[in-house]
Amino acid sequence: MRDDPPPGLTRIVHRVDTVALGDETQYDAGVLTVSASEAETVMTDPALGEVRVSWVSAGEPARIVKILDAVEPRAKGLGGGGIFPGILGPAKPQGHGETHVLQGAVVVAAGFLPRAQEAVADLSGPAAALSPLGSAHNLVVEFSPAPGASWEAVEAALRRGLCRLAAWLASAALDAPPDAVEALPGPAWQAGDGLPRVGAVTNIQTQGSYKDTFVYGQSFGLSLPTLMDPNELEDGAVTSGQYGHPALKNPTFLYQNHPVVAALRDRDGRDLRFAGLVVCPEPVEQGRKELISEHAARLCAAAGLDAAVVTKEGGGNADADMALKMDALEALGIPAVGLFAEMAGADGTGPPVVVAPTRATAMASTGNYDQVVSLPAVGRAVGGHRVDLVDRPATAPLELPTAALYCALSPLGWGRLTCQETV
Amino acid sequence: MTRIVHYINQFFAGVGAEDAASIPPACAAGPVGPGRRLAALLSPEHEIVATVWCGDDHATTPGAVDEILDLIRAAQPDLVLAGPAFTSGRYGLACARVTVAAGDAGILALAAMHEDNPGVDEAGAIPVVASGPSARHMGPSLERLAAAARKLASREPLTGEDGRINRPARRAVLVDRAGAERAVDLVLARLGGDQAATEIPLLRFQPVSPAAPVDPAAAAVALLTEGGLVPDGNPDRLESARATRWLRYPLPTGGELAAGDYCSIHGGFSTVWANEDPHRILPLDVATDLEREGAVARLHPEYLVTTGNGTSVGNARRFGVEWAAELRRAGIQAVILTST
Amino acid sequence: MRVGAPRIVPTRGIPYPTGDPSLDPAGERAWRRQLLERALAAVATPVAGPTVFDVEAGAKKEE
Repeated sequence: MRDDPPPGLTRIVHRVDTVALGDETQYDAGVLTVSASEAETVMTDPALGEVRVSWVSAGEPARIVKILDAVEPRAKGLGGGGIFPGILGPAKPQGHGETHVLQGAVVVAAGFLPRAQEAVADLSGPAAALSPLGSAHNLVVEFSPAPGASWEAVEAALRRGLCRLAAWLASAALDAPPDAVEALPGPAWQAGDGLPRVGAVTNIQTQGSYKDTFVYGQSFGLSLPTLMDPNELEDGAVTSGQYGHPALKNPTFLYQNHPVVAALRDRDGRDLRFAGLVVCPEPVEQGRKELISEHAARLCAAAGLDAAVVTKEGGGNADADMALKMDALEALGIPAVGLFAEMAGADGTGPPVVVAPTRATAMASTGNYDQVVSLPAVGRAVGGHRVDLVDRPATAPLELPTAALYCALSPLGWGRLTCQETV
Repeated sequence: MTRIVHYINQFFAGVGAEDAASIPPACAAGPVGPGRRLAALLSPEHEIVATVWCGDDHATTPGAVDEILDLIRAAQPDLVLAGPAFTSGRYGLACARVTVAAGDAGILALAAMHEDNPGVDEAGAIPVVASGPSARHMGPSLERLAAAARKLASREPLTGEDGRINRPARRAVLVDRAGAERAVDLVLARLGGDQAATEIPLLRFQPVSPAAPVDPAAAAVALLTEGGLVPDGNPDRLESARATRWLRYPLPTGGELAAGDYCSIHGGFSTVWANEDPHRILPLDVATDLEREGAVARLHPEYLVTTGNGTSVGNARRFGVEWAAELRRAGIQAVILTST
Repeated sequence: MRVGAPRIVPTRGIPYPTGDPSLDPAGERAWRRQLLERALAAVATPVAGPTVFDVEAGAKKEE
């Protein structure tokens, strides 16, 4: 019987309070300065033509449109030190040692991809609170494809480039005195001690081109449910290439800062024991959905879970995976709570969930897909000139369904939207 | 004391039956007709201060609802009650529109009718409570309406137990705690034995009555899809999500769909395979074989298409009703719908 | 099935309801034929509620 607990990870937090563009990239006492030409060089790839970076910060009357992925600057050492395994460098298991985080900064790709859906984030006004970008300093990377480059090559170049940029920025803080040092314990694979063992079951979208998620740099589509150390996510083991479903999207940033893992960790040792993370693909094929869901439930039972919080990425198709998993868990005596966005129609009277579980009943709401949000005019828009969804200039006042706002219905539970019944 | 205005139609106001269906809106102080029994059930805390009625045909004309609302507002109500309309369709629609208008004007409103009344679908977020099917059930219908009115007046939510037929509107609001934290709260509640804890109440879809079987060899059959398959270039701009419409296109006479001539604009799945071979969404090749072999009598020469991605149930139901009407007019007995 | 459609033929994948890209073209067309034949059989069958018509098995009732 092993006595020593499994190794954990130490998060070394450097807060970013002010940002600027300058001659050199450096971080000092909360100020992150980026050299645009250096950043553009870091993004260089044969599949990318012109690349332009700019800062768009919380509080500005600004908007980012055509948003693709968002990544938090993190590094484990010079050149990355193993961060984003399988994307930058070889795919070695991570989640141990020290990880530096530039907290308050996000690297964001924005611009056109053929199967991306229009995604909008405001940095001020009523919609700012609906997106994680709305409270951050965003280094927005706008791009055009190299002539003749395939979109698949462009997309892969963006993913590699964003991770490289994120690691490079965080490297600027490696020697800076930390603002906070957080010890994240290793997974409680076997801990008993009388507290209920609660796990996170995270479904990731794996639909191939433009709607795929990568684990250690590989598409997860053919995998079976996998028990992972949540700290592996801290080091970028899961990265996103999913460009549909703007409000229902889980960008790389939210895998690095997994909200359900954070919420469970917060109560670890008090009300519950955070007992593990199971990552599952979301197959498109019905037979395989059933296999994955049953398999995931058995894995949770084998891991000794007493309850699970189940999340997804996507809309109604992903709800089918949610319902199957929650019911499979309940059938094994494991209470399951699912996070769902509601598709209740613009007036809120439609049935909220199209594919609801039949055995499980506990569902948390992340908002109404169809509810229209009024966005004010802004002074500056980055990522594009028009919002094609409503055929308006990107700086104009906009009436958009919540569905179009970046991460507004966060299936990982980042957001504070819920639905309540009116009398 | 709550001031209530009661809306009824010409028949229950005692003015006349079908012969009086065109009468314009009118008003009287206090309760009228069935309103007297309703007033007794609601007293003493609540008083029907006025009754407004209108001919069921007149109520459908443009501007009629505004006229009715003017009369209602003149009585300065705290609450508007409409019906019970039982299964009377025009009366039910009028009740729905009047209560919606009252709600839009900031007045609490409630309607009563049978669950099959088409007015139920027009009521939006206004609560509709079930009445019996006909005026023979007036007594219990009024009792239910009165009980629901009392709850509504105290701002309590109405549920299925109160006879509520339609779903209450759910509005998104920003709260203090993130969804992930609230999900963990729900886990702890479940582990503590609360089996009912949830933020989203579970609902069941209304069952669809199955159509009687037909012999396919004698039937005209149509192909439909919600896979968003449209001519290449999407010339009519079918939406990739939250579709508000459907389209019809002729099927090529050769009996096959050429890849490159069609594409799927559905935003809910990767369309690579559909674009390689459109028959993966609309099986025209095999359907043509079956027609040639006599397995179906005839294949409809057009297909109907929408995008089933985040489609509101209201729109989906409307498409289904419109498709059924169109296909019935075209003499179709059976359809094959591909669903993605 | 939970949506309440009375006659349902299950298929193999959301992006290809009347297809199967893992098969060769002839195999895929044959699979498509099986699905449509099952659909026509379902149309000819009386049902009382949501009923699944599998290509592999016979008709089974929704619980």
